[in-house]
Amino acid sequence: MTTFDNILPKVAEIFRLHIAVIKRVAPVYVNRDLNSRVRLIVAEQWEQDLQARTALDAIAQAMFEQLGAHAFPPSQAVLFEANIESVKHGSFAAPLLDLEHVWVIDRLAIEGNWATISPISTGVPRIVFFSIKGGVGRSTAMAAAAWSLAQSGKRVLVLDLDLESPGLSSSLLPKDRRPTYGITDWLAEDLVNNGDAVLEYMIATSTLSHDGDIYVVPAHGVNPGEYVSKLGRAWMPKVAADGRRESWTQRLQRLLNTLEEKLKPDVILIDSRAGIDEIASACVTDLGATLVLLFAIDGEQTWSGYRILFQHWRTTDVVREIRERLQLVGAVVPELGGAEYFSALREGAWTLFSEELYDEVAPGQVASDGVWSFDESEEGAPHSPWSIRWHRSFAALRAIHTRLDGIDAQEVTNIFGDLIAGITRTVETEDAQDD
Amino acid sequence: MTSDFLNAHHRHLRDADYLFSALHLANADHLYGMAAECGLKRLMVAFGMTLESDGTPKGKDKAHVDKVWTRYETYRSGHVQGVQYGLPPSNPFDDWKAEQRYAQEQSFDHARVEPHRTAAHAVHALMKNAERAGLV
Repeated sequence: MTTFDNILPKVAEIFRLHIAVIKRVAPVYVNRDLNSRVRLIVAEQWEQDLQARTALDAIAQAMFEQLGAHAFPPSQAVLFEANIESVKHGSFAAPLLDLEHVWVIDRLAIEGNWATISPISTGVPRIVFFSIKGGVGRSTAMAAAAWSLAQSGKRVLVLDLDLESPGLSSSLLPKDRRPTYGITDWLAEDLVNNGDAVLEYMIATSTLSHDGDIYVVPAHGVNPGEYVSKLGRAWMPKVAADGRRESWTQRLQRLLNTLEEKLKPDVILIDSRAGIDEIASACVTDLGATLVLLFAIDGEQTWSGYRILFQHWRTTDVVREIRERLQLVGAVVPELGGAEYFSALREGAWTLFSEELYDEVAPGQVASDGVWSFDESEEGAPHSPWSIRWHRSFAALRAIHTRLDGIDAQEVTNIFGDLIAGITRTVETEDAQDD
Repeated sequence: MTSDFLNAHHRHLRDADYLFSALHLANADHLYGMAAECGLKRLMVAFGMTLESDGTPKGKDKAHVDKVWTRYETYRSGHVQGVQYGLPPSNPFDDWKAEQRYAQEQSFDHARVEPHRTAAHAVHALMKNAERAGLV
C-alpha cells in the first residue's frame, strides 16, 4: 500500500529504472496535486516523439501500478506543456532526491510552503520572534527587547503578526494609546485598494521609552470590530486590473516596506505566530528576515517540531538560504538548576542543529573555510542559546507597559540581557555594514 | 452532443489565436469571448456549479462571457480553493456581446480585441493551474 510519504521515493525508484529517457526529456516535473495525486509534466515536443512517448507510457504504467490511490490512469498521467519553463512560475520546485533536472511541484491548499526563502531585506534589520510552541514568553521578550533598543536611542518598529492570537499591542500599549486600525484592517482594505485609508491610523507610539521611539503596529485596532471576518480575508491574493497576481505574503511585504519607508526605523521586530502555520511561514521565510529567533524550552515537543521544519528545508534544498539567519533562544531558563537546564538545552539544540543544519565534519577533522559547522560548546554558535531567565515578575504578565514603565534597567538586563545583547550585536553589525 | 467545456475552451482559444495572428480580428474577438466563457464555466463546475443532464448550465449561468465573468466570482467566492483563482475585478468583456458576430468587420480593431485576448489567456492560465492542482 502506498501512502503519502512513499510517493516520492517510489517515483524516484521508477525514474532510476528509466534514467536514460528521464535525462533525455528533462526537465521533468513531478506534479503532486491538491489531493496528492501525481502526474508528470514534460515539454510538448516529446508528445510526438515515439521513442520518448513509449518510455513515458511505461513510466506512467509503473506509477499506476505502484502509487495506488495517488496515481492517475496511465492515459492521464503525463501532461505535455508548450512552455515548460512556465511550469515553475508561481510555484516552488524542489529537486526530487538526487535526480538531476527532476523537480517536484507540490500544490498546497495554502500559500505558506516554508521553502520560498526571500533574500535578506536590504533595508534595516528585520528580526523575527518565532517559537514552535506557544506560551514560552516570546511576546514579553520582544517587548523587553523593544524597550531596551529604544532606551539605547534606536527607533524601533514592532509588528504584531500573531494575527490568530493577537495581544502584543495590548501588552505594549495602554488602551488610550492603541490605534484605530491594525494589520488585519489593512490586509482587508488593500484588497479593494483602500489600504491608504487606514495606514495613518494603524501606528501607535509606546510611552515605554524616553530616549528612543517604539512604533507599534498591532494586529487589530482598539476596537477589533469584525475581526474574524477580516482575518478570514487576510490570506487573499490580489489580482490587479492587468491580471498580475500578488500573493498575500507579497501584500504583507509591501505593507512592511511602506511602513519602513514612512517611519524610518533602525530595526524592525516581528512577533510571529507560533508553530507550523501559514502566517509563521510568511514571517520566517517571506519577509526578508535578517535574524530569526527560535524560542525553545528543553523538551521532545520542541525538538521534534523544529526537526520537522529543518528537515523540510533540507528536502526542499533551501537550508543554505535560511540556516545562517537562525538563532536559538532558551525561553524560560529556570531559577533553580538553571545551569544544568541550560546545559541540557544546549545539548538538545546541538544534536538537532548538527544533524539537520550544520555541514558534516568527519571525526578528527577541523571545520575549514566554507564548512558551516560548530562544536557543541562553541559560544556564538546558532545552537548556543541566548538565554532568558524565568522571573516571577514577568511570568503571566498581562500588560507589559505597566511592568516596564519605570522598571529598573538592571532587572531587565538580569532577565533578558543575553537576548538583548545578541539583538544589539545584530543591529550594530548591520549598521556597520551600511556605513 | 454533450458539453465539454475544457475541450471547447482549448479549441476556441487555439482558433482565436490563429485568427488573431492572421489579422481576422472580428472572428478572433468572438472566439476569445467563447474561449473565456468555456474556461470560466469549467472552473465554475469545479467550484460547485450544477448542470442540466446534458451538461449545459442552468438558469442565470446559461449566459455568455459578458455575464459569466461576474457569475464566476460568485462560485469562486463560495469555494475554499477559489482563493487562488481570482480574476481582475473589472470585467474586460463588458463591451463584448455574442450578437457582435453579426457586426461589420471594420468595427473590430486591435484596441478592441487586445483586452479580450489578454483576458482569455488569463482564464487559460487559471485553467492550467486548476488542471495541475487536480481541480479539473
